[in-house]
Parts: sequence; structure tokens; C-alpha cells
Amino acid sequence: MSKKINAGESALDFLVEIGTEEAPAKMLPNLASSFCDGIKNGLMQAELAHDSVIWYATPRRLVVIVRALITQQPARHIVRLGPSKQAAYNQQGEPTPAALGFARSCGVDLKDLGFKETEQGERLYFEQDQAGAATHTLLASIVNEALKKLPIPKPMRWGATDTQFIRPVQWVVMLFGQNVVQDPVMGMVPTQHSYGHRFHHPGSIAIKEPSTYQAQLLDAKVMVDFNQRKNIIREKILECASKLGNPVIVESLLDEVTGLVEWPVALLGNFDSKFLVVPQEALISAMQVHQKSFAIQDKNEKLLPYFITISNIESNNKQTVIVGNERVIRARLSDAEFFYTEDIKHALDHFVEQLKSVVFQAKLGSVFEKTTRNKQLAQKIAQLIQANPVHTERAAFLAKADLMTNMVGEFPELQGIAGYYYALLAKEPQHVALAIREHYLPRFAGDVLPETLEGCALSLADKIDTLVGIFGVNQAPTGDKDPFGLRRAALGILRITIEKKLSLDLRQLLEMAIAHYHVKLPNEKVLDDTLNFIVDRLRAWYSTQGVSADIFAAVHARFPTNPLDFDGRIKAVQHFKTLPEAKSLAAANKRVSNILKNQTNNQEKVNPMLFESDAEKNLANLVQTKQAEITTLYQAGNYHQALTELASLQTPVDQFFDTVLVMADDASLRDNRLLLLSQLRNMFLQIADISLLSEQG
Amino acid sequence: MTTPKTFQEMISRLHEFWSKQGCVIVQPLDLEVGAGTFHPATFLRAIGPEPWSAAFVQPCRRPTDGRYGANPNRAQHYYQYQVILKPSPNDIQEIYLNSLRALGIDPLEHDIRFVEDNWESPTLGAWGLGWEVWQNGMEITQFTYFQQVGGLECKPVTGEITYGLERIAMYLQGVESMYDVLWTEHEGRRVTYGDVFHQNEVEMSKYNFEHADIEHLKHLFSNYEKQCHELIALSLPLPAYEMALKASHTFNLLDARRAISVTERQRFILQVRKLTQAVAQSYFDAREKLGFPLLQGK
Repeated sequence: MSKKINAGESALDFLVEIGTEEAPAKMLPNLASSFCDGIKNGLMQAELAHDSVIWYATPRRLVVIVRALITQQPARHIVRLGPSKQAAYNQQGEPTPAALGFARSCGVDLKDLGFKETEQGERLYFEQDQAGAATHTLLASIVNEALKKLPIPKPMRWGATDTQFIRPVQWVVMLFGQNVVQDPVMGMVPTQHSYGHRFHHPGSIAIKEPSTYQAQLLDAKVMVDFNQRKNIIREKILECASKLGNPVIVESLLDEVTGLVEWPVALLGNFDSKFLVVPQEALISAMQVHQKSFAIQDKNEKLLPYFITISNIESNNKQTVIVGNERVIRARLSDAEFFYTEDIKHALDHFVEQLKSVVFQAKLGSVFEKTTRNKQLAQKIAQLIQANPVHTERAAFLAKADLMTNMVGEFPELQGIAGYYYALLAKEPQHVALAIREHYLPRFAGDVLPETLEGCALSLADKIDTLVGIFGVNQAPTGDKDPFGLRRAALGILRITIEKKLSLDLRQLLEMAIAHYHVKLPNEKVLDDTLNFIVDRLRAWYSTQGVSADIFAAVHARFPTNPLDFDGRIKAVQHFKTLPEAKSLAAANKRVSNILKNQTNNQEKVNPMLFESDAEKNLANLVQTKQAEITTLYQAGNYHQALTELASLQTPVDQFFDTVLVMADDASLRDNRLLLLSQLRNMFLQIADISLLSEQG
Repeated sequence: MTTPKTFQEMISRLHEFWSKQGCVIVQPLDLEVGAGTFHPATFLRAIGPEPWSAAFVQPCRRPTDGRYGANPNRAQHYYQYQVILKPSPNDIQEIYLNSLRALGIDPLEHDIRFVEDNWESPTLGAWGLGWEVWQNGMEITQFTYFQQVGGLECKPVTGEITYGLERIAMYLQGVESMYDVLWTEHEGRRVTYGDVFHQNEVEMSKYNFEHADIEHLKHLFSNYEKQCHELIALSLPLPAYEMALKASHTFNLLDARRAISVTERQRFILQVRKLTQAVAQSYFDAREKLGFPLLQGK
């Protein structure tokens, strides 16, 4: 948080621009915003008040502008604690290096430091009123610190320097108001000279002050604002396509293209419509992946023989750029066409055999073996969810075949899609083809799910087999390393079962999957490990959906292994928690749970004769009558209604605790009451452990 | 600048340009290699502290890229034009752009872009960061700042610029097939790239894919490997390096013959990598022994 600038304090705008050779397009926004955060953080540490802080980014520059930055750091009262008395002086009473170091870091002699009594005993103590520094003397180190912390995956060196950065640094501009801050940044002395567009404005530009930066660069044909440039590109694409159809705009590609240009110019090119016989996904991939161009579709989402490319130049001969791009697109599409015509010389079956040479995982054999296991598991799942088992099995057999095709070799993102087209060409049933296509779904958070039941069965089988296998050879994901995409797979299983309302027991599925492995999986605890992993993903998923941790814990305590069933309970508890009775019943459950914790009870039936007060008789009656009702609702999976019914017990339960002393001296009275309470608690526990609900939220 | 009309004129232009930049114009390596990077003028000279600037054409052989002369863009034999600048000068991009101007490519007409592309050669134990340079969407150059070579940190850093000659020529001459590139023209007599190389593509593709003797090649590979190690033990890095290059090309031939399984492949690559790393270290030691002669600015 920036501090407020008080009246009477002077403030100036601050600009820092790091000019580089072309930085990787995909990283630009992240780098620039991290740079911005780093500077904000540095300003906060130094207690320098300011207004807004913004970042700009182009391929050749990372820029941060701080508006109205105070020119003088306020005086600060510094309090620092050093080593403890024992650590500060040795037995001979001589100061230790730790003590001397602390004094040095405070800029004083050790003899000037006193001790202060703290919770950890007496410690060296430094206190000083420090006059604030002039802001401009602090800026370079704040910038350098921020640059050091940028998330650069592969920093590089260049020339004979030891400096490291994302790409070689060419210039640094650093202005505070109209003054250049000349302290070195990245080993370079900053100036006021920036550079415009590489070709349109190669000469230097003297930046007058931070507030004129954006306009001066615009004059030099550089749009510095990343998001603004992105929007302009989007508009240009739409405008370019407007007479023809709708451009296919993938956000990540738009971001990348924005990171590749300083002065976007949209150009429309076309290609021979003979290529349109090739599956359009392949053509679109060819345009996007290799040429970073945008495809255009008609209103029926059919590809048109045009593309839009964003160039970085107002060419003195536009046609040159268009014709050049058309040439490349033509070569790319010819490749796609070649792959396609080569691939369709064979039926998909032909490629299945080749999967024997592809390793799925070193200890788990080939992809062919995985295909065999997928087939068995998918077919069983198909039966459980009333999908067509014959179609499912066939799809499972063919599902990985397209990995061996030229098309997927060239465009890995077409896996499943190529298989779909080739299956249709081979006259496989529609649902077989669809299941092949859908079995990779969902590919990312928020992606669509399979629409066919066969696709669901196969998708589940494929993911469960992978999870079990990889956990079986002890390759669980760690940190950000998840090479087999197990987190995504687990989430996929959960989303498919829950959102598609497929009632399947995970434990049963995992057991089947384990049995299909011909090798003995080295991990003895593979079943529990995999199950716990999936449940952890479930917890994470609910958390992103705003289901509070206590609701999850209440259901998780019962460890239901059917995700759909789990979800039913979550929804029921969510609803229950909104009821006015919930709070008091949760407390009562907690109380009962505590009471029962250390008690053993041999009594089997509640004895009405042993009740003394009306409150306990009343509760016992209610428990008696509700029990059957709740069990019926529970068995029908109607958790919502069951918990709502149980909510009606709130008053009787409260009355019971108000008037009855459970731990009576008489053992038979006590046991009877304990039994009643345990019956009460068990009714709740069938669905969830309500005692775990917290009072907040 | 006008556009060079022929393939050989294009090469002379580049020679002339880079010669003026102070580059040693060396000649191609007379061994089979997959890329200009394998030339000792690149791989070995990038090692150690000595400055070095060179430019050369290198014929490259990539047996698996053979298409029997039937593909207009792909061949098992082609040319790279390589420039090595060590340490990489601050204005290296600008110099490179001037070389394009020397080829008649005007960046105010053409859309020239530096698109991130990082390079790694597992067999050379080398990696670097840089770009592929696009001209109107077509990759015409690979531009790399070497960070590591033969497992050794590059200090100073070498800048490597590699032009795809056939591609650029096709573009400049406006032809759709590399075989239609005009190699030279004299008094109305035209010689094309196809005249010079088409038969070679057909025959070499047959050899690479169908007739190379697998058993013999496997035998050769282990021999080269063995001798490479022996030569390193004798502190003879240059002949050792030749053995490593021969081993590498032998591996490429075996690969084209599909004589190497997926798992074996990794093993072969690691073996070659071991050779080149040992050579790199041995070369560094040898130069050090000589007192890094090129450090003395003469």
C-alpha cells in the first residue's frame, strides 16, 4: 500500500525504462508486472509515499512509472534488536563477531549499544532517529533489487560482461521529474535517451519527463502500453476480418503477438482453397503455432481460405509483406496436407501396433500396453454408467493411435482431434470417433467435458490408469513437477463424475485399474496414495469454488469415495449451515463427540424407564421416530432433506443439555444417556461430521 | 543495395560484408557435420577466453531430412552461412541487419522480427539463448548467444549467426523450390541448384535410408568412440574432435536407417556428448598451455 503524501511535501513522477534486445514475447507481461511489484515493494520498504504505479512492456523495453513520488524520505525512528547478551560476549567478556557485526550493520561502535529486556532475555539494542534520504539517492538500488527478483527462467550473459538478464540490456532511462538519476542500473549509467521503433525511428529520443514518455514513444512508433496494444490488435483483427467472417482469436496467441510487436499492423492474406479438405483444426494449428497468424471462419465455424498476420512495420510496400507471409503459410499448409494424405493411406488400426515402440513410462511398459489396460477398464466403466461397452472398447483400442501419425507428430495439440477425423474416415461409428476425441478432456481448468458417455468412460479409464501406474512406481508429483499431468487427471476424474452425475466409486475403479497392471506395482500403498491424492484435488477444487474448509472437513470425515455422493453431501451441508439451527447443532455435536470420546458403552438399546426428565424422554422419542426416516433419506442419497429434518432436533437437543446431567453418578442412568447421545450423533454422522463446522462464514 | 541474382553472388556478398567486419573467412570443414556449429571455428573457438570472429559456409548433412530430391524445401544436404563473433559485440543485431541490407533486404519494406528461440544441442553439451529471425513470417536466420559449450561456461559469450542460404535464395529469387534456385548465370548459360545437387539428393537419400551398412556403421561408431578417448588421453583434442564428429555422423546414419531404438537413442546421444565434453576440456587445457595466444591483441 502506498502511503499518502501530506500537504507541503513535494513529489515528482519517476520513470525507469530498461531497453533490451527482443525479450521472449510470452514472458513480457509477467516480467513487467513483476518489475512493477518489485519497485512498489522497494518504495514501501523505504517508506516513500507515492500515487499510482503502472507498467508498460514491449519486446524492447520494460517500463515502470511511479506517479507523484515524494522527493524526500521522511525521518525514521529505527529500532533494531541484535544478538542476546550470551551471544554478544564470550566468557572472557570479549565481544563476539556477531555483536561486532550487528554494531557495524547499525553504523555505530559496539560500546554505543545498550541491552534491552525482551521475551527472549536481554538483547543488544539499537535505536536511532534517522534523517530521511533524498529519494533520488535511493532509486537505483530499489530498481536493481526489483530487477534481481524478476522471474527469469533462464537468465543469460552476453559479450564480456557478467551481467545477467532476460536478453542483453541496451539502454536504461531513469528520470525523476526532469532529472536523470545517474546511479548505475544493471551496470549501466542511465540517461534520458530512449529509442523508438527499431526501423521507423532508430535514433534516440530525449525523454522530457515521465508524464511525456508515452506520447513521445508513440511519436516514435512505439505503443508502450501492453494491454492497450493488445486491444488495438484485437480491433485491427476484427476489422480486417469483418467483411469475411469471424477471426479465431485465442487469448494466449493474442498475448504472444502483442509481445512481438511495438507497432502492430494487421494484414490480410489468403491461401488456395484446395487445402480446405484437410481437417480445419490442423490448418488452424499450422497458422497459429508456426506463423502466429489468425484464422477466419464463416458463421458456421467453417474455415475460410484467409489469414490475418500482425506485422511490426508500416511497410513501404505492404504487398511484399503479404506475399511473403502467404508463401510461408502455403508451405506450412502443404506440410499439413502432406501429413494428412500420408496418414490416411492407412486405417487407424495400423498405427496401434506401432504404439508398442512408444514408452509410456520406463517401468510401466509401452503405450500399447496402456491401451490394452484402458480397454479393459473403460469397458467396465461403460457398463457401470450405461455407455455402449462395445463402442467404448473400440474407442479405447484406437484412442492413442493418432500419436503415431504425422499430423500429431507435427502438431501435438491435435492429439484426439486427428484420431477423430481418421476414425470417421475409416467408417468407425460416430460415438467411437467422438470418444477418441473426447478422452483427453478436460485438458485444462475450465475446459469442456466429454459429451458422450463413451467419451466419459474412456476419459476416466485413461486417467485412472495413469494415476495408478505413476503412483504405483512412486512418481507422485512434487512441487511444480508433474510431468504426467496427474493433478489435471485427478481433477478431470472428479469433474466428469460430479458434473456428469456419474455415480462411481473411486476405490472400486482404482482396485480394477491396479488389477489390470500385469507388473506388480512397487508401491504397496498405491491404492490409498492415489485415493488421497484425488481427494486432495477435490479439496482444492471445492476451495476454488468457495466451499469453506470446515464444510469439506465435515464431509471428508466420513471419507465417501464416490465423488458424486461426496458432492451431494457437500451441497447438503452447505445448505444446512445456512439454517438458523445449524450453529447450535454443530456445538451440540461437538459436545457429544467430546463426551463420547472416552466412553465405552455396552448397552445396546435405550431403556425409556431410565429417563428422568421430559427433555430426555422427548429427545429419545424424536430420535426413535427420526431414525427410520433419516435412514431412508440417507439411503436414497437425499442428504439435503435428511439434514433439514435433523435440523428440527435443535430445540429438543438444546433442552436436553439445559436440563440433563449426562454424567450422572448412577452408571445405568449415565450409560443410557450416553447411548441416546451416540444414536443422535450417528444420525448426523451418516452424512457428515457436523461437529467440525466452524462458526464463521 | 540491389538483390543478388544468384546463389553464389549471395555468398560473395556475405563474405564481403563479414570480411569488412573483421571476420576471418574460413573454409568449410571437410567432414560430414549436421550444422555449422560443429565446425571447429565455432565449437572449439567458443571455448575459453580468446576473442575470435569468423565467417564461413558449411555444407550440412542431416540424413533423416533426405526426401529423394522430391521435397522443394527439405534435403539431406544443404548449406549454412555461419558467423561467429566473440565476444558478442553490443551492436550485433544492428550489424546483422546491415548484412540483410547488403543482400538487398530493406527492413522498412520487409517485416523483420526477432522471435524467441532457444537453442540446445544435446550431443555438443551446448545451449544458448536467442532468436529465429523472421522475414515476413519466414525464418531466415538463427541467432544465438552461446551460454555453454561442451559443458563449459562461455566466458566471454560468443554470438552465433546462422543463415539458411537456400531459403533466403529461394525468397530473393522468388522461386518455390530450392532446386530452381539459380546458382550462377554466365553469357546466357544458367546453372541451377538442381543442376548441381539434385542427383546427389536422390542417390544419397537411397544410401542413407536403404543401403548404409548398419553393422559396419555400428562397428565404426565404437571405433571412433574408442579412438576419441585415446586421443584425449594423449592430449590431442583436434584429432579427438574429428573422431567425435565422425561418431556423431555415424549415429545420424544409423538413425536414418532406423537401426536405433528409442532407448538406445538416448544412450548414443549421451556417448557422443561425453566425447565432445572431453574434447572441449582437453582443447581448453591445450590452449591454456599455449598461453591463449589470441588474447595478445596483435
